[in-house]
Amino acid sequence: MTAVKKRTASAAKKSAKQSKVAAPAYRVAEKYSSTSLSLEGIRKGFTRADLRFDGVDHSQTTYEARVFLNNTNASDKTPTTLDQGFAGSFHIFGHGGCLGDVGHCEVRGPRRPFDPRPEHPLTPVSKIVVATDAIRRALDKGTTVTVTVIPIVLSGTKLCDYEKVLKFEKVSVIAYQ
Amino acid sequence: MANLTLRPSIESLELAPDQLQALRDSYGKMQALRGDDNRSWVHQAGLHGFPQWMCWHHGRIGQGDPLPYNLFLPWHRAYLLYWENFMKDQNGQAVLPWWDWTSDTSHNIGVPASFSQPQADGQPSPLFSGPVPALLSDPPRQTTRFPGSPDQLPTPDQVENLLALTSFVDFTAQLEDIHDFIHGWTGGMDPNNPDQGGDMGNVGTAAYDPIFWSHHCMIDRIWYLWQLRQGVNNIPDDYTDKALAPFGQVVNDVLDINRLGYEYVASQQVLTTAGPA
Repeated sequence: MTAVKKRTASAAKKSAKQSKVAAPAYRVAEKYSSTSLSLEGIRKGFTRADLRFDGVDHSQTTYEARVFLNNTNASDKTPTTLDQGFAGSFHIFGHGGCLGDVGHCEVRGPRRPFDPRPEHPLTPVSKIVVATDAIRRALDKGTTVTVTVIPIVLSGTKLCDYEKVLKFEKVSVIAYQ
Repeated sequence: MANLTLRPSIESLELAPDQLQALRDSYGKMQALRGDDNRSWVHQAGLHGFPQWMCWHHGRIGQGDPLPYNLFLPWHRAYLLYWENFMKDQNGQAVLPWWDWTSDTSHNIGVPASFSQPQADGQPSPLFSGPVPALLSDPPRQTTRFPGSPDQLPTPDQVENLLALTSFVDFTAQLEDIHDFIHGWTGGMDPNNPDQGGDMGNVGTAAYDPIFWSHHCMIDRIWYLWQLRQGVNNIPDDYTDKALAPFGQVVNDVLDINRLGYEYVASQQVLTTAGPA
């Protein structure tokens, strides 16, 4: 978990609704809850606030990551409403496990300076959840926030790990003034 | 206008029997070609995921670049155009239709009828499934789908919110997220095998499913609609000379769809009468 960040960005004033996808009868993987994160660096006048997940693995299943703030008891059955701390979802289109030979899906970084190809296709990615209302609500109630993520598998293959679906490096709160 | 391809929605294609038949004919012929023929379904679908893995998703860093860039939209635009040319090579009347997963019909039935019926005219429908080559120890087979509930599909309001975004980087990230969901929704999980989902649900085999092409046509159309509002050339400057392999184009080549020779139509009515003998 990184420290709270804030920045201005006129281009990011418009907040898009997050996809509110109802829970299907799919597999639910191991959930994640962060440690408590201070929001003291965030001023209340922001026009948009995002949760940014960096270093997200996308080598396995395709899934919805349902994100809740200050609701560590959240599950796949929890209503996706603001009063439950629901902030939004992000989705990962997974590669479905390795279909190559040994080493095929091994991401070796950083990339070599004279290798003309772009980075390995399985380089971990960043995902954004526009969570303006949920972060405003958290700020109205206090100065800290915990982030809970419920991974709900939408699709996968027999090569996939269905338990540890959600793997990422860090999550940040980003407020735009 | 003679050379401009008008891409219709699947729903309007289904009201035009000749066009629908041309699409079936084209896909059927591509699927019948041997996989080692580079005009074949198997060869062209294999560019995306298994075995060639050339597709672009999310941001990555290229040689000498300080920051990641995301060629998801331009790469798939070039891929669709390349694909559509192979379609027309098999049947000159065939056009790529877009699947409007926000429409009332989609929210009622999910995958369009013409793509969810196993048979057409008493034969296996080439819109229902496509051939997949041998994967690891699995033999060649046909694609499968286990789509979710239609009421989970994105709404027109969600697309409208995307079109209001002013930054390309923001827009492409949020559109790609909806794209990711549709892949998972369409592939789904086999109720009889909890460890196996449908082919649209993973990067490796998604492009072998015929609905893949119409899903990405919808994504490309949304980008086009966004360009109409926010500018055709609204993309970071450092993107424009990035190569779109293996199509022999750079990003700047694919920004204007009219220069590429196609257009999206909301609805189409064709009235034809005979000329002088």
